Amino acid sequence: MTSAFGAHFFRHEFGRLVALLTRRVGVQHLELVEDAVQAALLSAVESWTAAEVPENPSAWLYRVAHNHFVGELRQRARRAELNEEQAPIRPASDEPPATFLAGEVEDSLLRMLFICCDESIPIESQLVLALKTLCGFDVAEIAQRLFTSEGNVYKRLGRARNRLRETHFLANELTTELLASRLPAVQAIVYTLFTEGHLSSHAEDAIRRELCDEARRLTSILAVHPVAATPETFALLALMHLHSARMSARRDGSGGLLLLEEQDRSLFDQHELARGLSWLARSATGAAFSRFHAEAGIAAEHCLAPSFAETRWQRIVECYELLDRLAPSPIHTLNRALAVAECRGPSAGLAVLDGLEPPSWLSGSYLWSAVLADLHRRCGNTELASRYRDSAVQLAPSPMIAASLWRRLSAGVGS
Amino acid sequence: MPKYLCLQRSLPGRDSNVDKPSPAQMQGMYEKFNAWREKFQNNLVDLGGRLGASRLALPDPVPDGPFVEVKELVGGYMVVSASDLNEAVEVARQCPGLMRPGSGVEVIEIRSPG
Repeated sequence: MTSAFGAHFFRHEFGRLVALLTRRVGVQHLELVEDAVQAALLSAVESWTAAEVPENPSAWLYRVAHNHFVGELRQRARRAELNEEQAPIRPASDEPPATFLAGEVEDSLLRMLFICCDESIPIESQLVLALKTLCGFDVAEIAQRLFTSEGNVYKRLGRARNRLRETHFLANELTTELLASRLPAVQAIVYTLFTEGHLSSHAEDAIRRELCDEARRLTSILAVHPVAATPETFALLALMHLHSARMSARRDGSGGLLLLEEQDRSLFDQHELARGLSWLARSATGAAFSRFHAEAGIAAEHCLAPSFAETRWQRIVECYELLDRLAPSPIHTLNRALAVAECRGPSAGLAVLDGLEPPSWLSGSYLWSAVLADLHRRCGNTELASRYRDSAVQLAPSPMIAASLWRRLSAGVGS
Repeated sequence: MPKYLCLQRSLPGRDSNVDKPSPAQMQGMYEKFNAWREKFQNNLVDLGGRLGASRLALPDPVPDGPFVEVKELVGGYMVVSASDLNEAVEVARQCPGLMRPGSGVEVIEIRSPG
């Protein structure tokens, strides 16, 4: 028998079970819940391989996890009695439910996501907590995906957990008002998750892509839930699908990065593209125009253009202008400069950047130098072009990017 | 074909405390185990299981005492059939659940009369 499960069954089951059980017993027991779910999955590995897989694997896992949890809580209560300490709170019910109501799983996942986005938790801790509880990655796997140390992940997780321990509310006490007020934070976290995966400046591309898949999965849950199904959420989901549509076309055969104009547009994933456009259409309701609308609009233009030259650059310039107004950032201005250069020429592009004092995080990044090198090269300012090119290549975060930059920025400049 | 009893034993002096596997790693374990089971389906007579607490039964009644606790030494068992001891060892060696840091498998021939 080969595995009848999806590629991420255990990881996703972990997220579902943690969410369901936490909702039942309260977020103050989160760590105990995670241990119980871990134990249940491990029992599954043993007994499903020795015997047959049960008819309803999720229900089986829930029952085993629930029993583990209750057993552990009893043991703690007994120990606390012996030490004359205050006994820990017992769960409301000792009996696991036989079935779940329609939508209960999605509802629990959604609530868990909103719990992770408590505004008193720093955003980088929110992200780690979501990856741990909802996506089922362990500390080492999170560290690997966020390019940070395991110690750092532990620290962030600890901060989030301490905060949650102070919040003695049951997950079902999240009111509709609280959910609505936290929605922007939730959107920000799934957006960050997606961006982390989409920045393919690193060699470990496949595992980074999992972050994009997870972000899309969580956003899909938002998009069908009454509290979170807003035009902004639809635009966010559209943006993710549209970026995913172009993902495989961004690499050459040996894993190197391809520039937009070198990409083979026949490789765009038509299925992802169609889903992206359909969410984009649904996002165009109501009066709200968010930064996600602007970004999805830009992504859609790139996906739909038959070629680089035939891209509707004017439309993209407009989207960047809107984006810069809604969420001002020099990185948006930088992108706008490139789009302006395409429709009105490289010197018009440089003019956009005139007077822009890049903050140190931007001037120290290869992007800033690369854009200036490119625009100066196209204006014929060879000396400035080669200086910015050298600095861009030096700042490139991976050999792949360095090679791609050198190829692009050396044309007509000389080494 | 002759049958062999495989006993999973913890190796003395080696730490058998392996890290808790992550869900993704568990999925890997699950898939590897199934692949192994498929590959050796003709050899696997009884997949056995884990062994728990034990008590030594002797011909004479004895008081409870600190007898050898088998569970500390033998973690699990299974029965395989193979043409010879070497083949049986190979089946056990390739079993992903049995071979772990800190544990090994003892393979014993089950003699049949005749």
